[in-house]
Amino acid sequence: MKRLTLKAIGVAAVAALVLSACGGGGSAPKSATGALETGPVTINFTWWGNVDRADRYKQALALFKKKYPNITVRTSFVDFPTYWTARATEAAGRALPDVMQNDMAYLREYTANGHLLDLSPYIGKTINLSGFDQSLVKAGNIDGKQIAIPTSTNTLALFYNPDLLKKTGVAPPADNYTWADYATFLAKVSDTGTKAASGQKVFGGIDYATTFWFFLQWVVQEGKTPFNADGTFGFNEKDMTAFLNLTANLRKGKQDYPIARTTQLLPKGGFTVNESTSEITWDNFLAGYVADSGTENIAMMPVPSGSDGKKDMFFKPSMLLSAGANTKHPAAAATLINFLLTDPEVGAIFGTSKGVPADKAQRAAMKLKPDSVDATVTAYEKAVTDKVTKPVPLPVKGFGSIESDYKRLGEDLSYGRITVDAFVKEWFANAAQAMQ
Amino acid sequence: MALTEKMTDPGVRSTARSPAAKRRRAAKRRRAAETRAGYAFLTPWLLGFVLLTAGPMLASLYLSFTNYNLFAAPKWVGLDNFQLLFHDPRFLQSAKVTVTYVLLGTPVKLISALAVAMLLNNSHRGKGLYRSSFYAPSLIGASVSIAIVWKAMFIDRGIVDQVGQFFGLGAGGWVGNPNMTMPMFILLTVWQFGAPMVIFLAGLKQVPADLYEAASVDGAGSVRKFLSITLPMLSPVLFFNLLLETIHAFQIFASAFIISGGTGGPAGSTLFYTLYLYQRGFVDFRMGYAAAMAWVLVVVVGIITLLFFKTSKFWVHYSGEAK
Amino acid sequence: MSVAGISRGSVTAEPSALRRRRRRNTERVRSVLFHACVVAVLAVVLYPALWMLMSSLKPTADIVGNVSLWPEGASLDNFAKALQGIGGVSFWTFFLNSMILAVASVVGIALSASVSAYAFARIQFAGRSVWFALMIGSLLLPIHVVIIPQYIIFNNLGLVNTFVPLLLGKFLAAEAFFVFLMVQFMRNLPRELDEAARIDGAGHVRIFISIMLPLMKPALVTCSIFAFIWSWNDFLGPLLYLKDPSLYSLPIALRLFVDQTSTSDYGAQMAMAVLALIPVLLFFLIFQRYLVEGVATQGLKG
Repeated sequence: MKRLTLKAIGVAAVAALVLSACGGGGSAPKSATGALETGPVTINFTWWGNVDRADRYKQALALFKKKYPNITVRTSFVDFPTYWTARATEAAGRALPDVMQNDMAYLREYTANGHLLDLSPYIGKTINLSGFDQSLVKAGNIDGKQIAIPTSTNTLALFYNPDLLKKTGVAPPADNYTWADYATFLAKVSDTGTKAASGQKVFGGIDYATTFWFFLQWVVQEGKTPFNADGTFGFNEKDMTAFLNLTANLRKGKQDYPIARTTQLLPKGGFTVNESTSEITWDNFLAGYVADSGTENIAMMPVPSGSDGKKDMFFKPSMLLSAGANTKHPAAAATLINFLLTDPEVGAIFGTSKGVPADKAQRAAMKLKPDSVDATVTAYEKAVTDKVTKPVPLPVKGFGSIESDYKRLGEDLSYGRITVDAFVKEWFANAAQAMQ
Repeated sequence: MALTEKMTDPGVRSTARSPAAKRRRAAKRRRAAETRAGYAFLTPWLLGFVLLTAGPMLASLYLSFTNYNLFAAPKWVGLDNFQLLFHDPRFLQSAKVTVTYVLLGTPVKLISALAVAMLLNNSHRGKGLYRSSFYAPSLIGASVSIAIVWKAMFIDRGIVDQVGQFFGLGAGGWVGNPNMTMPMFILLTVWQFGAPMVIFLAGLKQVPADLYEAASVDGAGSVRKFLSITLPMLSPVLFFNLLLETIHAFQIFASAFIISGGTGGPAGSTLFYTLYLYQRGFVDFRMGYAAAMAWVLVVVVGIITLLFFKTSKFWVHYSGEAK
Repeated sequence: MSVAGISRGSVTAEPSALRRRRRRNTERVRSVLFHACVVAVLAVVLYPALWMLMSSLKPTADIVGNVSLWPEGASLDNFAKALQGIGGVSFWTFFLNSMILAVASVVGIALSASVSAYAFARIQFAGRSVWFALMIGSLLLPIHVVIIPQYIIFNNLGLVNTFVPLLLGKFLAAEAFFVFLMVQFMRNLPRELDEAARIDGAGHVRIFISIMLPLMKPALVTCSIFAFIWSWNDFLGPLLYLKDPSLYSLPIALRLFVDQTSTSDYGAQMAMAVLALIPVLLFFLIFQRYLVEGVATQGLKG
């Protein structure tokens, strides 16, 4: 009996230890504006991306080391989904990297618990944002704290492969094409039955309704604000159902790029193996697409118009840089952030692979060889400036989770495993949970 | 301790100095010394058990009634997690996938293991080498390397696709086809039949040969011999293998993670229970929910284990029992 | 053949010789049939391993869409690429991490399991049967019910992204399989030596160190090999606790490699998969007897 009691006490003690230490929120972030240390300093920097981006960062960091020889930067990178899992566990353990790439989708979550360093004390001193558009800087300012600064801007674009399209004999969409027109276009290309170089059938493109950001673009075009200031949705089940049904016929007729094949081609896709003629995505993907597909000739045009004929596009501040609030070297972190944001040579190294640089000097420094990827993307953003009339939807807390949920449900939909109604129902149910 | 009390003859007055009392005290001291030594040697295990097994088990039971998400303190939500669970389409999908895998994979694996064991159960040369060779896949089967190889074998125009087309199966890799991913995993587990096979072999070796000879004399054929001698004599080993393989099957993780890229796709066809648990607990950080899932698993496995043990008395014959 | 010649022509002399010859022939036929059958099954079973090896030597274009095993244009290019490592971390770092974890696991398990098994098998102490039953119960327990709180504890102690969470359990005999195996083994060792030593006045510690441990060598070897291999192949533990690529063990590094290489680079993936398995296969080739017999004794008196 005595032994059992001892055991019970021991177990209870452990349980108590575990749970009392459970409270993870709310220790105040460091905000000291320490001067840059002169002794040797090592900081961690992590980003998401592919090997191409890793190479560019390597070059940029070599330059950084020359300029600041006492700062050593340890790097690591993974793909986008893995990235956020890793950051979340680090956040919980108050062990976020000194500098990290960040995305609008996750700003709210990380701010809510004070995980990111407030960079305001450094702006104007270590961090020089004179070449920045103020609206971009504001995008990274939540609740009065500057917890992230964008390095570039993206906007959506329709990419297409003119050579492959010519082979199918179908003309690219007209300038004022709508989402419905785009669905028709996709069906038409797939129906030609043309064969790609790999021997597989050529398709128009994937089912666009299964990507969350395109849904948001459509919502904006329909005159709604996707996320209200109080964190509620500006759209409802009817909207989502309507959008998903835009491509219902495409799915029924199996005229969208087969999901089974997409699954196996990851991390590439139908477009990058030259088996599909078009794809909508962020404009900075051009560099990656050219590299992956081996095709130089990829054209860009604006996204489909909404029902009122307007494009209503938005610039999304992207590839933001943040510093972990737990950093032991805030000044060094700020120095690296400033370097990556404003150094002109860094602008030349990255070009438009992360998007069009937010800093004016970096934009000017890009070597815009005619017909180069960077020139094309820059020209694209210039050309659509008059169509960029809306502000970017500011993601709510839990955005990352609802975005990946949408994708997963989209996959189920493409496999024919659920109906549109079931999709919408499940998505909204999960979203309510994710936003808690 | 009670024993010594009984041994005391109530008629004899035992004083503290009597030899009987001295012996009792000495015995008590020895037992105390043994107990101290026992616990001294057991300390590492005891620490491990309390800190890493029992403690966490209780903690996760508590967590399953909260909505803990690693960032803020846990908040009690009562049975919410469990209610959500049973209405969550993904949970139900993961349960379905896992149960299918266990129900199909384990029997096929064990039957293969027994068949090959019986094939090898003779005195031909090279038996040791063969036994080891069949065992090898069991060692590496659950590794990341093999998961990658397996996936590469089953893609579009991969080796299995080509051979399958030759035999009349439809074209297309199994990896991207939600209907063929389960067969792919079943093949993977069956491929690892070496471990249960080795155990069956050991069991078969223990069956006395004269039993078979006596049966032959009586005119029994191979099938009769198998059903009446082999199976009953193997039943303890069969029970052991069945129990262990079933419990292991419920816990498949690395292969599922690598082959599906952590997604449980395509279309949730590879969303094994532990993979969904991992997603909920370590990707979404809904740890209360994941803890609830873990406890459901414990209860289910516990019930199955109990059922196995209870029904074992009907079909497991331990040698030495009267026939 | 020549023996039979002697008995030809005589009705009564040695008909058994003929029977013996016929028996030898049938035995030979049966032997050939046996080996043929087994080799056929073995070929099917070992095919994936062979395919993996051959594909690692082929350029990627020859892997998909190609049925033949033989690598035309065989080269070690894939291995060169795999050895380059990922994310700036070299392959040998991953190898070393895996090695450190595996060796430490072996040491931890050998120490803690043997000590615990001695208590269970050789010491009569109060409450032993209760603890023993609990230990056996933990064999059947799905680990997922403990990983979440374990993670929380280690996280709160700041031990995530270190090797500690992966090794602590090994030094505390948290894996009941090894304790169980050693207990079974010890129970089969004769007690006379113990008792002789006890009479000579030796305490448990002396008995354990001087008598038990030397006798336990086969069980220790078997446990060590399994401990090494299981640690080497461990995926969930490192997945949860190792965040910095410079700490990755081989399975996690392999997964990162696969995530990052484009799908057209199967050759490099196969090469890295082969490299990651080499130590396991080496152990297997050298120690297969111990492994197989260790597994076999598990099932008896289960």
